[in-house]
Amino acid sequence: MKRISFKKDNKDVKEKSIWITIKKNYDMYLILIPGLVYLIIFKYLPMYGVTIAFQDFNIFKGISGSKWVGLMHFRNLLYSKEFFRVFRNTLLLSIYDIIFLFPLPIFIAIVLNEIKNIFYKKTVQTIIYLPHFLSWVVVSGIFINILSPSGGFVNNIISLFGGKPISFLMDKHWFRSILVISSGWKGAGWSAIIYIAAITGISPELYEAAKIDGAGRIKQIIYITLPGIASTIVMLFILRLGHILQVGTEQVLLMYNPTVYDVGDVIGTYVYRMGLGKMDYSFSTAVGLFNSVIGFVLVMIANALSRKLVKRSIW
Amino acid sequence: MSKIKRTSEDWAVDIFSYIFLTVFALITLLPPMNIVAKSLSAEWAIISGKVGLLPIGFQLNTFKYVVTNTQFLHSLLLSLSITILGTGLSIIVSGATAYPLSKRHLPGIKVILFLYVFTMFFSGGLIPNYLLLKKLNMLNHLSAVIIPGMINVFNMLIIKNYYETLPDSLEESAKLDGASNIRILFSIIIPLSLPVYATITLFTAVAHWNDYFTPMIYLNDSRLKVLTVYLRDVVMNVSDPSKMSEDELLNVSPEGVKAATIVASTVPILLVYPYLQKYFIKGILIGSVKE
Repeated sequence: MKRISFKKDNKDVKEKSIWITIKKNYDMYLILIPGLVYLIIFKYLPMYGVTIAFQDFNIFKGISGSKWVGLMHFRNLLYSKEFFRVFRNTLLLSIYDIIFLFPLPIFIAIVLNEIKNIFYKKTVQTIIYLPHFLSWVVVSGIFINILSPSGGFVNNIISLFGGKPISFLMDKHWFRSILVISSGWKGAGWSAIIYIAAITGISPELYEAAKIDGAGRIKQIIYITLPGIASTIVMLFILRLGHILQVGTEQVLLMYNPTVYDVGDVIGTYVYRMGLGKMDYSFSTAVGLFNSVIGFVLVMIANALSRKLVKRSIW
Repeated sequence: MSKIKRTSEDWAVDIFSYIFLTVFALITLLPPMNIVAKSLSAEWAIISGKVGLLPIGFQLNTFKYVVTNTQFLHSLLLSLSITILGTGLSIIVSGATAYPLSKRHLPGIKVILFLYVFTMFFSGGLIPNYLLLKKLNMLNHLSAVIIPGMINVFNMLIIKNYYETLPDSLEESAKLDGASNIRILFSIIIPLSLPVYATITLFTAVAHWNDYFTPMIYLNDSRLKVLTVYLRDVVMNVSDPSKMSEDELLNVSPEGVKAATIVASTVPILLVYPYLQKYFIKGILIGSVKE
């Protein structure tokens, strides 16, 4: 009997002290209010708006007045040849990106680390970080200009060697490569920073010991540098896989055109064209939701894997 | 000190490293050089495709034309205003909100934190967001590009993490002296957090300045054309029709104008680039190397 009332007292005391703490720190909670209002209106309300994916949304009738169609849009999506094409493009682009543009920053970081001349190192870094700060409008503008079939820099060089000018951005065989190349041009240098930072975390003593044991530069790279940043590489790789369905919508939007829709149209641009272009609100939202959910699941899996394998996670 | 013997492998690695990085740096530099050269070249040289990495027939008329164009200046100012307003609002709200969130022991904080983090992984999507802004009458209004992105959760978490690295003893002794939470925030926390604020401010400012998609969708009015949208129009040859006759008047080639506009739009970023480099790198290190 005594024990039970003792427990009861404890709970009461705990509850009371929670309220006391809240009252004492009322100003902290006050600070949180604007952010929370913003969160609810601009983040969670649209999440609720996702319901139009299950409706035959009519903009004049609003969400409450539109008819329910359940999973109809999702079924259409899965049977749609167009969506299949778009999904395939997104996946392929992401895979090309991973194969070519994932190793590149790592390579850059390792090679940069081998340079002893500080002035050269800083100069190179300053140059290769710069494109990251340019907008995609500028970068796409640059590439559209130099790839122009009539007088563009690249085609001028091709003509110089006796070749015929290629209309790169209109060519289905070239378009994906151009997307990957321009993406690498813009981002590879900057992405190297994380690996550069990771390399500086490797203890110099390891290198000293290896040198004493007679290891040459290449052996040092293979047996010290690479293992030293391995956990960073694995974590970033797994996270990259988690984002496999997220391909640069802005980049594609600025560089594609109807002649290359077949190979260049990705989920993001498709959602944009269907939604704001054709005003097919419900279907577009369904595609977006489909993409979000799969992306969410993938990132959760990726993060769990990363935590299991290399004990690193994004939070 | 052991004597350092340079082996042939040393030479090979060094030579390869220098060559690879020089090539990569050149690949990075060459395209912009071509654009800059075009912007400074004479019309006939550009049209005949003779311009390589250096200007031919050097002239500054194109630049004069581009930089004095009223629409260009208008867009430039508009982007500047949006960047300043948006970044200011963002850093104030994010920096403030991050403080209570760094106090995990307070009741309910963990839940609120989860509410924020969840939005990093899931969102309503393009259409629901669009329809919401439509409902709120924010379409074609500057608020559409300033408010929806007000709190970037990732950035806010960086600030929160930074707050958590500040020693508890500072706050504890202030509390003993009778300071309120707000007092502590303003007198202690904020002054000590200037580096992280600088970093996040730059992150946010660059994002606003370079944003194309959001203004393109929400700011359709021709008086609300931001620099990125204007530049896109110029590159795609759909800029103001009045340009055509002026072109002939000034003998300025459209290709040259495109090139010069690209260059002119990049100058603001170049001006702040040294600061960007310094603080962005710091920010990456603070935000990501977490054990």
